[in-house]
Amino acid sequence: MRRLLPVCLGLMLSVTSVVAEARPLTDDGRLTFSGFGTLGLVHSNQGDAGFIRDISQPKGADKGWSARNDWLLGAQVGYRFTDELDAVVQGISRYGQDGNYRPEVSWAFLRYRPDPSVQLRVGRLGWDVYQLADSRYVGYAYPWARPPVDHFGILQLTHIDGGDVTFKQPVGSDLLLLKLYAGRSSSKIYLIDDLSADFDVDSVYGGHVDYETGPWRFRTSYTEVHSDVGFSGSVADQIEQIPFLALDADTVLGDIFGFDRIRLFSLGTLYDRGPLQVQVMWNRSQTSRHEGQIDSGFVSVGYRIDRVTPYVVASRVETSSTNPDNSDIDQRTWSLGARYDVTTNMALKAQFDRIDTRSPGFLWRQDDSDWNGGWSSVFSLGLDFIF
Amino acid sequence: MNRVQRLLIASTFSATLVVAVPVSADIAVVVNAGSGIDRLTQSDVVNIFMGRYRKLPTGNVALPVDSTTLKARFYRALVNKNLAEINSYWARLVFSGEASPPQQIATIDDVHQLVTQNMNALSYVDGAQVSDDMHVVLMLSE
Repeated sequence: MRRLLPVCLGLMLSVTSVVAEARPLTDDGRLTFSGFGTLGLVHSNQGDAGFIRDISQPKGADKGWSARNDWLLGAQVGYRFTDELDAVVQGISRYGQDGNYRPEVSWAFLRYRPDPSVQLRVGRLGWDVYQLADSRYVGYAYPWARPPVDHFGILQLTHIDGGDVTFKQPVGSDLLLLKLYAGRSSSKIYLIDDLSADFDVDSVYGGHVDYETGPWRFRTSYTEVHSDVGFSGSVADQIEQIPFLALDADTVLGDIFGFDRIRLFSLGTLYDRGPLQVQVMWNRSQTSRHEGQIDSGFVSVGYRIDRVTPYVVASRVETSSTNPDNSDIDQRTWSLGARYDVTTNMALKAQFDRIDTRSPGFLWRQDDSDWNGGWSSVFSLGLDFIF
Repeated sequence: MNRVQRLLIASTFSATLVVAVPVSADIAVVVNAGSGIDRLTQSDVVNIFMGRYRKLPTGNVALPVDSTTLKARFYRALVNKNLAEINSYWARLVFSGEASPPQQIATIDDVHQLVTQNMNALSYVDGAQVSDDMHVVLMLSE
């Protein structure tokens, strides 16, 4: 964090342009550079558990103020070979699965657009599993301090190494869009205390259909994720140390969580007309054991008044299975906040969350393993910028 | 009517005109006069400038060009959004690698030059400043 601060401040001071267009680095405009970032503070009143932004984060925000979970910085370099073919590389530094801010390559792909109706991309791509999922770290792009944790915080992957193809077909003045993608991936998520799951994703594939009419954008999508999941941490060690049974922790825990095959069904609607923005999303993830399900969704309504956009969000996540255990999640969140556009490339945000945790599962980091839920208040302040 | 009265009436009249121009002026969405495009609907123009679907009725790929001096008025008239919202919209598409915003051009002369040189270019000018070598495909009222 101390090393990141001067970098962020330096970049912010160098932000002089007020347009969202990537700035050219060469005279011919082929090479471009742009970026985004968030400086965020969180205040939590929950003394028994740490608040996290998503399940890739090994540690949460403890009681009081914390600057750990929302700070991030991303940068993108683009190169245009021809009008049809270009390349994009994007890196991000945020508090993630390794417990530090080490930058990682989030995307690196070639994009081919032979016609406005078709787009092909090959390389490392964002995991576009449901609406906004592949832009969930770009704070400047949405009104909230962070995307609703109940819905976006449970996502297992950030990127895929593979390819996608998008077809667009106008229908009168409406637009029909089909996207298909396939690839491999890897990630690490943290479950209960001191237990993490390493996903070695052999294949992830899926697609979605969008229909855009006037201010409405509807999406329905389906994805499958097939993985070898390895578990690590003291819980896994203890299982393997049980005398005489010679248990394999990956097999035992794999049977409990059933992460080796996950299927995701999603529905989403965005309504965006003038100052009014409404988002409604729902997802069901099915795991392979004990008829496991993760249901999540949210409703968000924002209305801009000049430079200020107040918003309210209600979100929920709930897991169910025929074999309930203490990894189950049941949580609802009410959020109230406002975004203030300081300039046309910088926004200040304040958000207040009341979180009703009935079963924390792996959405909280617990110092006190006896904590099994309750009400928490989380207050967030953030500054989001693009350059 | 004496000379002073006439002068006062005339100056009042021209003052009214000066004041009235920015209020009543529309924004003209323009293409090259030889492009073969007659008219575009508002949703066609939204699709092109917001990066949703950039095919012209001629079958060619549209090249939208933002005029930075007129940009705030244009997007206010087109989709009732301010520039912060437009930048926020593009931040999502650019940083997910889905689409690129229109080319940005600073001066009206450069916009004029690009439109008159490129058959697929699409931009906008103040309704009072449409020149003969441009063709208006849509008028947006403010």
